[in-house]
Amino acid sequence: MPVDLSFLLPFLGTIFGIFFILAVSFNIEYGYAGQPNLGKVFFYSVGGYAAATLTTRALWALAGSPADIPFLEDAGGVVRFAVARANPAVIVGLFLASLVLAGLVGAAFGWLTSYPALRLRGDFLAISLIAVGEVSRVFVLNYEPIAGGVFGLSGVPNPFSWLPPRVVDAVYAVVVLGIAFGLYVFAIRLTNSPFGRLLKSLRDDELASGVYGKNTPKVKARALMIGSGMAGVAGALYVFYVQTAYAADFIPIVSFTAVTMVILGGVANHKGTLVGAAFMTLLDLVTRPVFPTLFDIYWRPPFDLNYVRYLAIGVIIIVVLMFRPKGLLPERPVETSAVRVARRRVRETARADPSGSPGTTLK
Amino acid sequence: MVVELADPILQSILLGSSYTLMAIGLTLTYAITRVPNFAHAEFITVGGYTAASFANSFGGLLAFGGGAYAAVVTGSFVVAFLVAAVIALATDELVFKPLFRRGATPLHLLVASIGVGLVIRYILSIVVASYDVLVLRSRITKETLFAMAGAPFTNLHAWAIPTTIAIAIGLHMLFTRTRLGKGTRAMASNFDLARVAGIRTTQVRRFTWFLAGGLAGLGGAFWSVNVPMTPETGWGILLWLFAASILGGFVSYWGTIAGGFVVGFAENLGISVLHDAFGVSFSYRPMIALVIIVLVFLLRPRGITGLTMPDLGGMMRKWLARVRAAFGRG
Repeated sequence: MPVDLSFLLPFLGTIFGIFFILAVSFNIEYGYAGQPNLGKVFFYSVGGYAAATLTTRALWALAGSPADIPFLEDAGGVVRFAVARANPAVIVGLFLASLVLAGLVGAAFGWLTSYPALRLRGDFLAISLIAVGEVSRVFVLNYEPIAGGVFGLSGVPNPFSWLPPRVVDAVYAVVVLGIAFGLYVFAIRLTNSPFGRLLKSLRDDELASGVYGKNTPKVKARALMIGSGMAGVAGALYVFYVQTAYAADFIPIVSFTAVTMVILGGVANHKGTLVGAAFMTLLDLVTRPVFPTLFDIYWRPPFDLNYVRYLAIGVIIIVVLMFRPKGLLPERPVETSAVRVARRRVRETARADPSGSPGTTLK
Repeated sequence: MVVELADPILQSILLGSSYTLMAIGLTLTYAITRVPNFAHAEFITVGGYTAASFANSFGGLLAFGGGAYAAVVTGSFVVAFLVAAVIALATDELVFKPLFRRGATPLHLLVASIGVGLVIRYILSIVVASYDVLVLRSRITKETLFAMAGAPFTNLHAWAIPTTIAIAIGLHMLFTRTRLGKGTRAMASNFDLARVAGIRTTQVRRFTWFLAGGLAGLGGAFWSVNVPMTPETGWGILLWLFAASILGGFVSYWGTIAGGFVVGFAENLGISVLHDAFGVSFSYRPMIALVIIVLVFLLRPRGITGLTMPDLGGMMRKWLARVRAAFGRG
């Protein structure tokens, strides 16, 4: 049987892109600013709800808010899909607006989080944020107005659903990867900037940073806002991909997957996060029921294959913390433009005068 | 408006005792070994499954009643205690102790405990799914012994409440009268000093984890009589245990016991009152735990231990002043 990758590759690309954004945002918060935001899934879900609400409400209004069709049930979703397919410009515009809105809403909640973050020690903050993520899921699952409660808010159309069905997923995967790459470059530039060094100073010694006149509470709040805004964008991308905002999807393992990507790859190292995210995406692939069928193996274990993935995540966390606490790619010195210029000069001098004095080498 | 109170109160006492039993372990491992242990949830789940499988294997004996019934029930609780205790001990020996020796911070230990929790939970899930008992109902069931003010007093009440009281008093004696117990307290207040003073910290550590896991397992065993077990059961309870433990100051033994009962009452009686008075849905229960955790962390990280009436007055005044300042500025 020929291996059919036309379904699998877009799926992997999309999942990779979404989790990579989440992991990069966690790296900014934890790796650089030292704020262990283990409730990432909360900000991710908030972005998803914001995107889904905006999109479904706008499409519903465009459809003339039909009173005889229930908004939350399947029939309502069908109406929204039809509107989206008929108006490509509208749905793409809504998609972009949703991303912006999700980022803003995520950032707003990140700003709120800075209130406890300023007052709690690392482990206490982590416990509180895990609790926030868990409780918000239960709350939204029972409170219909946010995301349809137990029904979920379905009928969030894929922004490219007006294209031929064969290419929709591929186009979406490319868009997600493009956004992920953009945010990756943004994160690298941000953390290499003076602001990034300020974040590190906060992480390493908040008191000293304050003594040097830095406004540490404001910096912390900003780091959390940036990280949570990115998580919100990731949540919006997820909701547009699965076409439903459903509270029960936002389980703690989402946060822990992003955390594992960061600590496996290397805390405070964006390339490490890339490696970690790639590794975890591969793990995701091999623990999908579809994977053995690629090799014509149709045996099914008597348990859910997801268990194997979650088990592997646990094992990776433990093994990395015990044997390689700095991750695969440890943190490296900051790469400022001054360092780059200095390095180039040294190289030039060495070329001009090969004997060179040992004093001019720069690591 | 009539609020039915007898039933919620009885339920709250039962819940409070279960939470207390389970939360003591959470407090002990944090106070003595600095692990905010998210894997504690899994000790509960393992205990519950162990008790239920034990009871179901010897389920035939339950029908004989009398001595046979008592033997199966006692046996299932003891086995649950031992299995969970051994697993807890193993996780400490394999993961937390080596990490602690390398100078891991509480935050690292927290992340590691999440990893440990995932490993235990999903090994358990794979095993129970393979045996097709993903949802396991114990054959020891809750039976009403007599009615107390119109509310059912069940066999579970008769087991869990005295056990919790006995364990609370027993541990108190242990911590205040024995060498090992005193060593435990010394280690909780200052690790280095305890070590210098010649306390066998490794032994105390092992004892702590064994006890913590065992009590969680026992709590899980009681839980399995009340509701069917699933691999997520422990995780669902954990939030309440953190609330109880944190309310008690996170390092205080009696604080945790008080916290367990306060949380049990807040969850059960609190939601009943809120429901009857304001129409708040029962599904919002977990919000209470979250509110407790966040408020205690923000307002009084030491928890309720040593809280006096003047303290309360002072806190109220401080907050009123803040509110006034906020409005005055606006």
